[in-house]
Order: sequence, then C-alpha cells, then structure tokens
Amino acid sequence: MTIAISIDSVSMDYKTYSGIKHVLDAVSYDVADGHFVSIVGPSGVGKTTLLRLLTGLATPTGGEILVRGSKLSGAPQGLAVVLQDYTRSLMPWLTVEKNIGLPLKTQKLNKAEVKLRISDSLEEVGLTGNEKVYPWQLSGGMQQRVSIARALAVRPSILVMDEPFASVDAQTRFDLEDLVLKVRADFGITTVMVTHDIDEAVYLSDEVVVLHGSPAKVSEVVTVNLPFPRSQVATRNDPKFAKLRTRIYEKVRGL
Amino acid sequence: MKIRNLATSFLLGLWVPVLLVWGWYRVSIDSTNPYFPPLPDIWARFQENWVFALVPIHVVPSLRNLLIGYLIAVAVAIPLGVIVGASKSGGSYVEPVIDFVRSIPPVALVPIFILLLGLDSTMRIAAVAFSASFPILLSGIDAVKATNNVLLDTAHVFHLSKRQVLWRVRAPNAMPQIFAGLQVAFQVAFVVTIASEILGSGFGLGAFTLIAADSFMIVDAWTGVILLGLLGYALNLVFDIVERKSLRWYFGQKKLS
Repeated sequence: MTIAISIDSVSMDYKTYSGIKHVLDAVSYDVADGHFVSIVGPSGVGKTTLLRLLTGLATPTGGEILVRGSKLSGAPQGLAVVLQDYTRSLMPWLTVEKNIGLPLKTQKLNKAEVKLRISDSLEEVGLTGNEKVYPWQLSGGMQQRVSIARALAVRPSILVMDEPFASVDAQTRFDLEDLVLKVRADFGITTVMVTHDIDEAVYLSDEVVVLHGSPAKVSEVVTVNLPFPRSQVATRNDPKFAKLRTRIYEKVRGL
Repeated sequence: MKIRNLATSFLLGLWVPVLLVWGWYRVSIDSTNPYFPPLPDIWARFQENWVFALVPIHVVPSLRNLLIGYLIAVAVAIPLGVIVGASKSGGSYVEPVIDFVRSIPPVALVPIFILLLGLDSTMRIAAVAFSASFPILLSGIDAVKATNNVLLDTAHVFHLSKRQVLWRVRAPNAMPQIFAGLQVAFQVAFVVTIASEILGSGFGLGAFTLIAADSFMIVDAWTGVILLGLLGYALNLVFDIVERKSLRWYFGQKKLS
C-alpha cells in the first residue's frame, strides 16, 4: 500500500512567556493512500497543532513530514482544507461561485474548465443553483458544504478537515457526515480529519489515531473494520461500532 | 438599506430643518441689523446668485478641485495603506510619521502649500489630496493589519500568491473599515477645498464668501454659507449611496447577524 503522508517522529515546541511548551513528542504515523483517518484526543492535546503541521502552516521543531515521499515545506500541492470556522474561512464579499473559484486562480485553467469545476463541485455537495448567493445568506450547514465544494474544486489528492462539523446542529451534522462518505466513495481522496467526536471518527474512518499525554504521543491506532457503505442507523447500531467507540473513549481518557 | 429607504428617512428627517428655517424666518424678518439680514432677502439673493448665474465661476472650480484632489488621495492612499498594513515591519516605521503629519490641522498646511506651489489650482488640488490621504491611509493600515488568521491560513493552504492574498483577500476584507476612513477624508477634503480658496483666489465658493464678507456684501456672504452647507450635505448623501452600493455584501451580512 502506498503511503500518502508519512509523519516521522514529529515534535513541536512553542515558545511561550512561561518558557517552552512541548506540544507533540515524536508523533509517528503513516496515512495510507485513499484512507480516511481521524485524529482524536482530549481537548488541548495538540490535534490542531498536528493539523497545522500537515498543511504546512507551521514547521515541526523535530522530525519531518513527507507527502508522497517528498519533505514538506510550505503548503503541499494537491492538498485542500475544510476548517471549522466557515464564517471566517469563506470570503463574505464573494458569491458562492467566486469563493469556489478563488483557489482555482492559482491553477492555469481556462474559463470553461473553471465553470465546470464550480458546477461539478456544487452538484457534489447538493448546492446546485446557489452560485450567485453570498455564503452568509446560507445556513451554517450549507456554508460548510460550500467549504467542501471549494476544497473539491481544486481536485485535491489529500483533504484535511479541522473539526468540520463542530459548529452545526446535530441533524445537519449527520447530513454532512454522509456527504463526506459520499465524497469519499466518489473520489477516494486521502482524508485526515481532526475531531473531538469519537462517534463521528468511528463512523467515517478507516483508522482512528488517538493522541494522548502532554506532550502528546500517539497512544493508539484503531482500525475501523466496519463495512461500507455505512449508514447512520445500521452502522451506529452495529455491536462492533459500540466496541470501537468504547475502546477509543478509554484511550482518549488515558484508561 | 435601499436607496428608496434612504429617501424615506431623508423625508422623515425633514421636519426638524423645516422647523429651524421657520424659526430663522420669524427671528430675522424684522431684523434691522445689517449683519443679520431677513431670510427672504437672503433667499432672493440666493436665487440670483446660485440659480445659476455664479455657478460656473464659483461652484464649478470648487467642486473640480475637491473631486480631483479627493480622487488622487483615494487612488494613492488605499493601495499604499493596504501595502503598508500587510508588511510585517513597514507599519511600525511609517505609522509614527503618519500620526505626526495627521495631527497638524489640515487647514494650517495651506500656507505651506502656497509657499511651495504658488496660488493656482495645482496648489489647491495638492493640498486637498495631501490632507485627505491620511485618514484613508490610517484606516487602511489598521484594517489590513487586523485580517483574521483563518482567512490568511485558508489563502495560504490554497496556494494563493502574495499578490493574490494582498488584493483578493486582505484588501476586500479591509474595505468596510477603509470606507470609514474615506468618509472622514471626504469631510477633510471639503474643508481644505474651501480653506485653500480663502487665500489668493477670486474664484470658488470659499473665495466668494470671504470676499463678500470683506466687502460688506453681507447678504451675499450668507448665501455662500448656505450653499456650502447644502453642498456638503448633498455630497455626504452621495457618499452614503456609493458606500452602500460598493459594500452591499457587508451591509447585507450585518443586517442578518
């Protein structure tokens, strides 16, 4: 199996007023190509820090990250993000189609191709017909769909999501989870998601990585062997689902 | 707010000025004080002067200087503010200087401009452009500096170039705050336009009003002052409309939240 992202004994220290804070300590993990991996852990453990390292927004103080074999410096090509705070991540002065089109300006595409990518990705997230509205005219769930469409439009090989559904209501959350499963089935994009919701991690992932401790280490890697396609009712009622969530819960709590 | 709503609130707000004009009329109608002429006299002269006999020689040059000077300030100060605001160290070097120059009352700079540039309209336009630049510059620097990190992170991960981050993310994000600077700058520009005419000019509304007062043409001076007020008010109205048109996304979003 090819490795999409290789996290090789990565450490991260921050300088603070009260001295140096060690956030990550020799974190190692390989994300297999096409896999959906969730990173869980108690709040403040360093999940988002790890994600900032993966997206090239920060550089590790120790170890290295390889994306398809080459060392990461800056944001890697072919990577797209969906962030929790969609109200800030989407540009309020641009319409939905222009928001999705903005990252495409960095790729050399002709107008017809840009249009096609925008309409394709809007269709994938079920927002066809909302091209000309502003994101703030949409509900929270729909705004997050726009974020996902924007990510898909760059045709990424790696998708990184930071607590993507933490700011929407429970029903919308289920809908968005199923959308992510559909996107995954359609495109097979390698996906890394940070979440604090263990059920969500189990429901969506092939593997769940548990971070624990201060500084944080990988305390457990749990393989989720639940069958696809998954469904909110059947999968969540599977006895294996309950076992997996219990095991992950205990690891997150450090039991 | 739509333009029609603006018009409605304008009409609703009209009763206060109507009351004031009526009061002025009552108080001035029997006045024999030459410095405080009856309102009907002023009104008659106002029509003689400004509908539209003297408009070409006094209103047109003032408005022309105001608009050219202001537009130069806008064209220079917005990009400059965005660039300085986005540079890591630039702001801290430039800001004290800007703060210092801005603290000088703009009108006090007019004599300096006369010394440097003489008494023609180049001087007046330069004085307007210079003084109007500072509020725009400062609002631009502040707003661009305060761009939120989520926006910048997003732009970075999606590989937007430095130039794209500057002009497609930071600048539009800063526009609502820059417009506040543009409004202040517009008022400054108006004041400096008029003040620059008080010295060494025979043309323009400022010149007209001052010369009238100096030559004991009190009624004419009053009409000049009234026209200045009306003009300032109308220009601010135009400014509001332009702002609402350009920042439709901002006002729409604000209304929803």
